[in-house]
Amino acid sequence: MTHALRRLRGAALTGAGLLVLASCAKDAPQDFFQPAGPNAQKIDNLQKPVFYTAGVVGLIVIAAVMYSVVKYRDRGQPLPEQTHGKPALEIGLTILPALILAVIGTFTARTIFDLAKEGDTEMVINVTGQQWWWEYDYPVQTGYGIAKPIITSGQIVFPVDTKVLLRVTSRDVIHSYWIPKLNGKKDAVPGRVHTLRLEATQPGIYAGQCTEFCGLSHANMRMEAIALTKADFAAWAARQQQPQPMLTGDSPAALGQGVYIAQCARCHQLDGLTRPDGTPIISAPEDNVWSGAAPNMTHFASRNTFAGATWDLLTPQCRADVWHSDPGSFGAKYLKGVTPECLQQNDLREWLRNAPGKKPMYADPTKLEETGGLYRGMPYLGLTEDDIDSLIAYLVTLK
Amino acid sequence: MAIIERPDVAPATVTPSVPALATPTTTLGVFKRPVSSTGWRSWLFTVDHKKIGLMYGAVALFFLVVGGVQALLIRLQLAAPDGKILSADLYNQMFTMHATTMVFLFIMPMAAAFANYMIPLQVGARDVAFPRINAFGFWTFLAGGLLLNASWFLGGAADGGWFMYAPNSGPIFSPSNGVDFWALGLQVTGIASLTSAINLIVTILNMRAPGMSLMRMPIFTWLMLVTQFLLLFAMPVITVALFLLIFQRSFGATFFDVAAGADPLLWQHLFWIFGHPEVYIIIMPAFGILSEVLPVFSRKPLFGYPFVVFSGAAIGFVGWGVWAHHMFASGMGPVSVAVFSVATMAIAVPTGVKVVNWTMTMWGGKLHFTVAMKFAIAMVLIFTIGGLSGVTHSVAPSDTQQTDTYYIVAHFHYVLFGGGVLGLFAGFYYWWPKVFGKCLNERWGNWNFWWMVIGMNMTFGPMHILGIQGQPRRMYVWTEARAGEGFFNLGFWNLIATLGAFVLAIGVLFFLLNIWYTAKRQPQAPLDPWDARSLEWMTQNPPKEHNFDTIPTVHHLDEFFHRKYALDENTHELTQVRTAEEVLAGEEAKADAHIHLPSPSYWPLVLSSSFLFIGFGVVYTPVLMVLGGAIAILGLYGWALEPSVAEPTDYDPPSGSDGGTMKELTPVG
Repeated sequence: MTHALRRLRGAALTGAGLLVLASCAKDAPQDFFQPAGPNAQKIDNLQKPVFYTAGVVGLIVIAAVMYSVVKYRDRGQPLPEQTHGKPALEIGLTILPALILAVIGTFTARTIFDLAKEGDTEMVINVTGQQWWWEYDYPVQTGYGIAKPIITSGQIVFPVDTKVLLRVTSRDVIHSYWIPKLNGKKDAVPGRVHTLRLEATQPGIYAGQCTEFCGLSHANMRMEAIALTKADFAAWAARQQQPQPMLTGDSPAALGQGVYIAQCARCHQLDGLTRPDGTPIISAPEDNVWSGAAPNMTHFASRNTFAGATWDLLTPQCRADVWHSDPGSFGAKYLKGVTPECLQQNDLREWLRNAPGKKPMYADPTKLEETGGLYRGMPYLGLTEDDIDSLIAYLVTLK
Repeated sequence: MAIIERPDVAPATVTPSVPALATPTTTLGVFKRPVSSTGWRSWLFTVDHKKIGLMYGAVALFFLVVGGVQALLIRLQLAAPDGKILSADLYNQMFTMHATTMVFLFIMPMAAAFANYMIPLQVGARDVAFPRINAFGFWTFLAGGLLLNASWFLGGAADGGWFMYAPNSGPIFSPSNGVDFWALGLQVTGIASLTSAINLIVTILNMRAPGMSLMRMPIFTWLMLVTQFLLLFAMPVITVALFLLIFQRSFGATFFDVAAGADPLLWQHLFWIFGHPEVYIIIMPAFGILSEVLPVFSRKPLFGYPFVVFSGAAIGFVGWGVWAHHMFASGMGPVSVAVFSVATMAIAVPTGVKVVNWTMTMWGGKLHFTVAMKFAIAMVLIFTIGGLSGVTHSVAPSDTQQTDTYYIVAHFHYVLFGGGVLGLFAGFYYWWPKVFGKCLNERWGNWNFWWMVIGMNMTFGPMHILGIQGQPRRMYVWTEARAGEGFFNLGFWNLIATLGAFVLAIGVLFFLLNIWYTAKRQPQAPLDPWDARSLEWMTQNPPKEHNFDTIPTVHHLDEFFHRKYALDENTHELTQVRTAEEVLAGEEAKADAHIHLPSPSYWPLVLSSSFLFIGFGVVYTPVLMVLGGAIAILGLYGWALEPSVAEPTDYDPPSGSDGGTMKELTPVG
């Protein structure tokens, strides 16, 4: 019996040990014990002592129970005294944890107000969640070279050592914005704007994921936060403000542009596209999609993932090269975007063949009664393989 | 002596104070009382708290298996990256219904089973205060459970998570009827919980045996009293919330519609004002069972009984002030977050007091490691781990990292499974001989225990790591790309968790086999197999239908123990002065000549069945609603107009003038 219970104790101790070890895991992109910016660092400074204290208290309780189990098992001793308690001991053991918690509570309250500060914000990005991707909208901020608004999706890009304030909201259901290495999460609630601070100390790529259950493809709604040096950010921002040129001729890319205008431009805005009469093509996603928006495609190939940052546009090797590059060379690698030699087109191809087959979405035209025929997510488009070939050729030019 | 189902109608017991109009003896010949004391009728129309308790238990056990199979499917889907066992849609239904089933259809009714069966016995009563309402509660719970699960066969179950956040629960985002059935089913089970809460509160406050002051009340009954008060105040909140949801979905209301100026956070506040007390509703019965089992097998009274009582009551109060700790990431603003963060830390104190008391109960005792005791010890340890991870959530900034990750899933399974479910299992092994007259087999019980406890830690232990590594909850797939490398790779720990789930399932299977084996092979248990301490053991196993031949007079906390043991005047040592059999014989010698018991009734079942019609009516057609309404009115009239007892001539053979005949009781076990 005692042997069996010792096993239990062993398991408990191992568990506690693993929990602590989990904080130094290797390459876990969403490990919340590995802060990479001052906000997450403040949380970490607060939570580490709490975890250790909890661990110590747990070990004391486990030890006391195990001691009783071993020491006081029935060995034929007389019936114990029928004592009903020791008030002094109990009051003591009530006050002690209350004091520990009072200390923790004080530091907690301080950190809560500290993390909620907004007065020293240096840059603002509007973040809008919708089923099942995030849109990033940069208002004009000339100090950072943003002379006209930038709209992008999937990857949020910002300069290092800059206090960025996200203004988070949603167009449909509640989502939650979470980049574990940079800060805790904040819900994106329709009709409300919540703020969340991000700041990274090193250039690099920081993974995140939507953490409020948001329906069918909740699992396929990810984020990638890209921190660039200030110079690299300026380069990125300059390019993002440029419209794409109209292609002419019959190159695969130019054919793809035709397919894009015919099929994609209804919902996906692409700055620079014009009709034959020279007027700009403005997409109208609100006519097709319930939430009223679709990702802006103008600089599709400057991002290296697509469809809610769920699938890669890079080959595994190129992807690893970007993700694991040292801070010094990260910016240059990221700014290359999707190069022809790094393009991994399997996922993109499957997506273009049948998007709702790859990522579950409400896009079955026969089941859209409640939304009055509007899709939730991208529908099946019925593209031919030729269409898809040329479309991919076009999309990778969009840097 | 008069007996069960055949109430005493001797003139002496019909007191003049019974209002004649409210309980007519004959009413049109239609509203008769049923008289069967055997066969299916005796179960369908029973108002006996023990039979109702057993039915609650049987249905809850069935739903444990249902919820368990759902859990296994979830774990199979997540065993490897990009799982293909379930579609996204089916996965969402599965985790929604797993939680809903386990909370509302397993743990709560199983606690109701223990409460129904044990509370009247523990307080020395012959039934609950309102026996027909008790039957109504059970049948209404069953109707709610059926409504909830009907959705599986009618276009898909609810898919919004058990928390059912708006606006994702609205008709646009969840177009199947799943959420409708979910809301209606919970609404109906809520009626059941509310009525039985009132019933048990009245029973506990008014029907205690002479001498049983509140501070001599068995601790299980005490903590169940706290639980019933939590239910009494929590259920109306979810009732309101569910009405808003039903109106939003079925009748075009806009309570959570942003375009109409509403705020979806309204639902979150309503849900968690119910939802957090609900957590204590789930755990408190297990606390009560634990506080009964540990003293019995430590051969010592519960250490600090008043502290356990008052900390239970404190949890019952403070539990209302912490709901928003489920919403630290919802954008409430730093002041609210700070207040709820500190309040949540405060509730850790009374909970910690309980752990100290359990530990100190064992300290210096004379421990018997029966299976019941093993479950109890495992519960103390595992609940403590869950409680401590709970303290880490109370630190709000840290919680914004943890919330909606597997770290939370790990936490609440350590608390609700390690605490709640293991507590219930301790109760099964402890009270089985009381209920069925046979002890569950200890050998099978050990298999049950070890597989369950190891499986439980294998399943939920790794989830701490998965959460810290950033795996969010409620995702139908996880991806290799975010899995990390090395020892803490998500793949390895997801696989271990899935294997653990099957180990755990085998543990539960051993329990089911043990029930079967015990019924077939186990010998009859002695009268007092555990040398127990409280009143429910001071009668036969299983108890007679009227529980006690004579209502005992209580002089002590742990009355039964003090009848058996006394301090030897010379040696000052505690020695046994009477056996349990002698105590019982003493009670039987004073048996009451006339025992009044409530008669069975048709109407609770009729009234409860109306909810099924109304439920389907709300989803499909008003015709069914009208029919359900008519049945409800019929049920209420029948309830009001039926005679207080059956006619003597209704019985076969007819009752004699002494009111009844003896009936033999066969153990069901």
